[in-house]
Amino acid sequence: MFERLEPDTRRAVIRAAYDEAQGLGSSTLEAEHLLLAVAADPGTAAGRLLVESGLDHDGLVAALDLETERSLAAVGVALSDFGLAGRPVATRRKAGFATSAKQSLARSVGLASGRGERTLSPVHLLVGILRGEIGTVPRALAAAGVDRVELIGRAELLLER
Amino acid sequence: MIQTTTVTPDDPADRLAGVVALRRLADRVEDAEVERALREGWTWSMVADALGVTRQAVHKKHAKRLAQAGTSGRGE
Repeated sequence: MFERLEPDTRRAVIRAAYDEAQGLGSSTLEAEHLLLAVAADPGTAAGRLLVESGLDHDGLVAALDLETERSLAAVGVALSDFGLAGRPVATRRKAGFATSAKQSLARSVGLASGRGERTLSPVHLLVGILRGEIGTVPRALAAAGVDRVELIGRAELLLER
Repeated sequence: MIQTTTVTPDDPADRLAGVVALRRLADRVEDAEVERALREGWTWSMVADALGVTRQAVHKKHAKRLAQAGTSGRGE
């Protein structure tokens, strides 16, 4: 699957996503870490779209925190009960590539090949991530008050340029 | 009443997301408690026994991070 990524995109985004996962203390690389990696690079059209939508890197981290808080509340747990100081501690363990990230990449590759495009851009990746209808990413977007479907539409317009 | 951003605990999506968040929380609590135990003088073997895993497993999972944090534990 990875070989379908344009080498520069593969190196930059995947490495950045691993850094995001480790920085957040996650043992797995999830779809949200791919999204954070896209958001962290405003030098790309995909990154700029996220920033324009209020989802710059820090805004996205805040949305993910809110999603965690709400999800824990749904099972009767409050983070404040655990006396954990501040943010999760960064880990040095290399994260494993989780199903949510694999599915995001698979959707991105499917989108690119369906359009006859030979390389995968950050916009393909963004659309592939956003098209996941269930899970942490759509929940974090909802928590941030972002209309996911509308955002997908705007990202798809970038593919036409 | 439409409240798209309010938790509705009757929704399986919310409860299942809660399970995901609990797993992440358990990892965070483990990180914090292993560090605390080592700071209080526990050995890696004692921590491993308490967690029900091998000493090698707990060391592999936590040693690098704790070495950076300045906590190496006894029994190295």
